[in-house]
Amino acid sequence: MNGIKVDINHLKKGEVNLGTSIMAVKFQDGVILGADSRTTTGSYIANRVTDKLTQIHDTIYCCRSGSAADTQAVADMVKYYLQIYAAQLPPNETPTTEIAANVFQEICYNNKDNLTAGIICAGYDKKNGGSVYSIPIGGSIHKQDYAIAGSGSTFIYGWCNENFKQGMQKDECVDFIKTALSEAIKWDGSSGGVIRMVILTEKGVERLIFYPDEYQK
Amino acid sequence: MAGLNFENYQRNSYLSTKGFATPRATSTGTTIVGCKFPGGVVIAADTRATSGPIVADKNCEKLHRLAPKIWCAGAGTAADTEMVTQLIASNLELHALSQNREPRVITALTMLKQHLFKYQGHLGAYLICAGVDPTGAHLLSVQAHGSTDIGKYQSLGSGSLAAMAVLETNFREDLTKEEAIKLCADAIEAGIWNDLGSGSNVDVCVMEVGKDAELYRNYLTPNVRSQKARSYKFAPGTTAILRESVRDILDVEETVVSFDQMEVDTEA
Amino acid sequence: MQTTVASEYSNEIHSVPIEHRFNPYSDNGGTVLGIAGEDFAVLAGDTRQVEGYSIQSRYEPKIFDVGDNIVMTANGFAADGVALIDKFRQQLKWYKFDNFGGKLEIKSAARYIQHLLYGKRFFPYYVSTLIAGLDEEGKGAVYSYDPVGSYEREQCRAGGAAASLIMPFLDNQVNFKNQFIPGTDGKEKKPLKYLTLEEVIELVRDAFSSATERHIYVGDGLEIKIVTKDGVRTEYYPLKRD
Repeated sequence: MNGIKVDINHLKKGEVNLGTSIMAVKFQDGVILGADSRTTTGSYIANRVTDKLTQIHDTIYCCRSGSAADTQAVADMVKYYLQIYAAQLPPNETPTTEIAANVFQEICYNNKDNLTAGIICAGYDKKNGGSVYSIPIGGSIHKQDYAIAGSGSTFIYGWCNENFKQGMQKDECVDFIKTALSEAIKWDGSSGGVIRMVILTEKGVERLIFYPDEYQK
Repeated sequence: MAGLNFENYQRNSYLSTKGFATPRATSTGTTIVGCKFPGGVVIAADTRATSGPIVADKNCEKLHRLAPKIWCAGAGTAADTEMVTQLIASNLELHALSQNREPRVITALTMLKQHLFKYQGHLGAYLICAGVDPTGAHLLSVQAHGSTDIGKYQSLGSGSLAAMAVLETNFREDLTKEEAIKLCADAIEAGIWNDLGSGSNVDVCVMEVGKDAELYRNYLTPNVRSQKARSYKFAPGTTAILRESVRDILDVEETVVSFDQMEVDTEA
Repeated sequence: MQTTVASEYSNEIHSVPIEHRFNPYSDNGGTVLGIAGEDFAVLAGDTRQVEGYSIQSRYEPKIFDVGDNIVMTANGFAADGVALIDKFRQQLKWYKFDNFGGKLEIKSAARYIQHLLYGKRFFPYYVSTLIAGLDEEGKGAVYSYDPVGSYEREQCRAGGAAASLIMPFLDNQVNFKNQFIPGTDGKEKKPLKYLTLEEVIELVRDAFSSATERHIYVGDGLEIKIVTKDGVRTEYYPLKRD
């Protein structure tokens, strides 16, 4: 690139960082997204009850990690594109998770020099059921059975790999995410607060919240 | 030409390599807070503006009006908070007029975050945005890079840690309006006393559902200057007049015109 | 070793090494002031100690009675200030052992402090130093220093954070700079005269309350040490705490 060094991982001075633990997991009836709730500026916790699970369409959500400003802007763009796209669809049809994830990928790839955004896009649609896409920092896209991301995820790669099962029941999957994120929060200083979850199924959206008293046991 | 002008950027960066200090913007090393209560929302700010270690303004206004019932407390670079707030206030009014509806807090917030994101953090505006609209009372915050947060109580600026300590210990969901005002004022005071970037007085703005917003300018004044021990009036003539010259810079001509001589256009 | 660093304008990325080096100095704020009268001298300082935007203490005195009717302060980096004063005190003790308890004259103290400061010429005490007392004739004396020992006897001197705010005020009110006798058309300067102790205390209080208004590193309290032939006396006045 013209021989100019570009550091895509930098955070601009004073930028709000989502040093995060996020994940999304496919299960029997759809998909569940999970996230911690900590937002930091340096060592200060700017928000301890952040909602990092952002709605993109009726049953498509994303988990955000990296720069708060960048990921919010990207999510707002995708939400807008999907609204326009959905309006052109036949009645009773909604965009697929695949479409949403690829819009994310397109934006993250084309603007990779200016973005610090690690996104997991997950959702439920009639055609594919639950699906999970990971869009890490360079703007690639990876379809997975489950995805973990953010600074806290490094601590739970092994555990998730050992304990993930195909086609879990809802309660089993909630427990899987809760245990994984509680470990990530335990070991990662930039993650913390409550554990938020969003369950996306044929029936729609269900939100869960778990407080430290419970998940720390 | 609209927008910011960068034509001196190259010259200035050349100058800075030659040892000329780049000019410092007045930063409102600030404490600002906001807190919700059933039926409304309160925001508050201190009134000190600093330039480095010097107090630039002892009683500046950090509470800005975006719309009659949407107000904004600003921290960061004074000029940026002022200009960004004026721009969004203006666009918000045009928007409200074209849509024939009362403006919403979320609209103001979206306009702010999109504007700030576009400038990638170079506009140093950190804002707590609050108000009442047809959907209820809201309290939100925006950071310079364009990220936003929602919360029942918030603080921003160099005194935000001192203020947050007060908010975290004393906030309740069922605060009355008076209690919410007291809590915000206490949080600002914590900043005034314990953060060197904050000082002087407390400004408060209360926005209640179904009522006009109320601005309490200098709600608390805990830092009135004490009487000086000596008088520093100089006897006239203490300062030498070295040279004196008086000149007319304008010739004024007055003519009286009687009413019936004036042409009055009555047609539209 | 080159590291990539993002500049304020992110389209231009400069390649400069990031330095991670221990910085032995810090600025603890505060301001000090000394005025010499005909038969007295005062040293005054605020009692606030800061680090960045935080207050470390609202009452940390920095004017010290170092013995032999001399008061001393070293304002700037607090740790260096304390170290310098401790060192002087200890050396004064040794001086007395060697000289049968004889009094150290202020001009000798002044010259000695120059050597203490210059002794660290290439790793200086980061302070502006002031001492005050009475000279051999019993007249008020104030000596002021730069960080490496250049010194001068003066009628008055302000040092520290708000020195640039207070010094012009002192020039005007103590040495009557820019003041002329009314009616002389700027030909005759207002004649110098010694100020009384009461006038000096009033000037000092006004100087500090004004500096508190406009400088964020000044405030909380004002402590004044007054040297007369009868010894050293201390006065305290509260300042604004914001």
